[in-house]
Amino acid sequence: MSGPIVGGLAALASALGGFFALGLAMDRHYEDSFGRGSSAGRKARWLQAGGALGLVLSLVVCSGLRGAAQGAVLWCGVMTASAIVVALMLSYAPRHSARVLAATSTVAVMALAMRWLS
Amino acid sequence: MKEGFRQSMAWLHTWSGLLVGWVLFLVFCAGTASYFKDEITFWMKPELHQAASEPVTPVLAAERSVAFLQQRGPDAQRWFISLPTAREPMVRMFWNPKPKPLPPGAERPRRGRFENAALDPATGQPAEAARETRGGEFLYRLHYDLHYMPALWARWIVGFCAMFMLVAIVSGIVTHKRIFKDFFTFRPRKGQRSWLDAHNATAVLALPYHLMITYTGIVTLMFMYMPWGPQVAYKGDEKTFNAEVFPSGGNRNAKAAGTPAPLVAVGPLMARAQAHWGEGSRVGRLEVMHPNDANAVVTISRQSGQDLSSIQPSMTFNGVTGELIATAGDTAGAAVETRGVLYGLHLAHFSSGLLRALFFLSGLAGCVMVATGLLLWGVKERQKFAKALKQGGRVSFGLRLVDGLNVAAIAGLPIAFATYFWANRLLPVGIAGRPQEEITCFFAAWGVAAVAGLAWPARRMWQIQLWLGAALFALVPLVNALTGPGNLGMAISRGLWSVAGFDLVCVGLGLALAAAAWWVGKRKPSPARPRAAAVTPGGSQMEAAR
Repeated sequence: MSGPIVGGLAALASALGGFFALGLAMDRHYEDSFGRGSSAGRKARWLQAGGALGLVLSLVVCSGLRGAAQGAVLWCGVMTASAIVVALMLSYAPRHSARVLAATSTVAVMALAMRWLS
Repeated sequence: MKEGFRQSMAWLHTWSGLLVGWVLFLVFCAGTASYFKDEITFWMKPELHQAASEPVTPVLAAERSVAFLQQRGPDAQRWFISLPTAREPMVRMFWNPKPKPLPPGAERPRRGRFENAALDPATGQPAEAARETRGGEFLYRLHYDLHYMPALWARWIVGFCAMFMLVAIVSGIVTHKRIFKDFFTFRPRKGQRSWLDAHNATAVLALPYHLMITYTGIVTLMFMYMPWGPQVAYKGDEKTFNAEVFPSGGNRNAKAAGTPAPLVAVGPLMARAQAHWGEGSRVGRLEVMHPNDANAVVTISRQSGQDLSSIQPSMTFNGVTGELIATAGDTAGAAVETRGVLYGLHLAHFSSGLLRALFFLSGLAGCVMVATGLLLWGVKERQKFAKALKQGGRVSFGLRLVDGLNVAAIAGLPIAFATYFWANRLLPVGIAGRPQEEITCFFAAWGVAAVAGLAWPARRMWQIQLWLGAALFALVPLVNALTGPGNLGMAISRGLWSVAGFDLVCVGLGLALAAAAWWVGKRKPSPARPRAAAVTPGGSQMEAAR
């Protein structure tokens, strides 16, 4: 598996998972996803920390892919694309967001592992 | 004046956005398409799809083009050779032949005429069978030179609108109270609420892009809008200023000696340039002044795409002896480098396909942001007429005008774009002035859509035009299959990604427009407000663009 494809996947999946976690940490989206009255409560802190970590990992991958200068630009683009996907998911299919968060996080971890361990 | 800061900013945002919104929509659409201008041009020359050229070394490609130019324009004043890249498989060449002696009394043309050719680097044969078209270059020019008017005026108009855009962005950020709380919020099927959400989401989620593209867009033409700094610093000496800011190495105005001398081999010069720039660099362009003359000069520039700046270092050699004359751009000054980076960010000539795809996506978000902003004004304004409409009254002239212009721009422009691509394939090859005919088709289609939209700005008109645009875009792969050398499946299997990608993006845009059209048709206007919801087409247009 060559670098750019796995790298691009790792950057996108980390940002996607990161924004999903940040979205679910917000009460409104948590309610939409897990039913009225439910609240993220203490989980919110963990979701926020995980979300921030996802975005930072995405930046690291982007810089590795294209160098510091183009990497920063790439990161902005990756964040825009994934935030749009998350906004659409949370609006139209909030019930599935927990599963999608799990799936994107798994993909992100696998792609990151392939990129850094191989 | 008891208005708060936020209210005055909201007022500013509304009017700075509305007044120039339609021009901005055109600029955004054409500019977004320009990220793939090479791919568009390639798609529009189906004759070249067959010549799936084998990649050859840059040196071989350069030597073959020099051999070609030695036959076609040995006495030209200048040769320009652009070597093949991952995006552009052909070598592109321009040269200006020696001016012929003028008939007495005739006026010398102000600009020298250039001839051009494309060469398949694998065979060394010219690809001259390709049809003539402006291709993506037309869309690129359209986004700052407009058309049917002097380029200078157009640039002032576009610059003026871009300045308004910058004002609208900044005042919009101030007006938006809940940027982080509403970060992912989109509430569908809620009328004005949904429009505002869509406008906010496309604006906020791509905000770095919107700020960057508007600001750098103004910077690309800053020497035209604000020439006073350089004028004062250089005391009006434009030549010195240009020579220092845009170094080309060697004197461009050097005269030909008039004594013939054989041209040096370019291969070794390219090797020296690559060694000088270091690992991984490639030669992008060669320029030969006065080829086959004793004063010949060869300038070699690096290929762009690896860093942010649009300025690439170059090296200049004596064209007879191969002696190094000058190097330029190795260490740019801070101001020059800043401008180069801003310019480079706007042009986005990055070698990474993912990066350009993300710019394209952000550009589409910009189109949707402008479109939803324009529609939002109509939705809000219409509420003022709710009572009058209930009693069978009419809306104001201003609202009707805005509605009409919205149809013309937002629904009409996609039709014009698709028509341009259809015209490229359907007009007979070889008719005189074919490139201009394609452009005429673009504006004719847009003109008809605009007149129809202004004459009858109703829900039905939105539906008709959106469906038409959807059909035209979605059927582009069919047109390609019928009039080109192969269909979409073949393009994919042969790895012609620029052709396959073009087809797929067109299908995607077609589906998006169809979703918008379906959405407009789905919502029956409620009997209480017969026309109130008339001009609110697809919120799905925003998903569309995504």
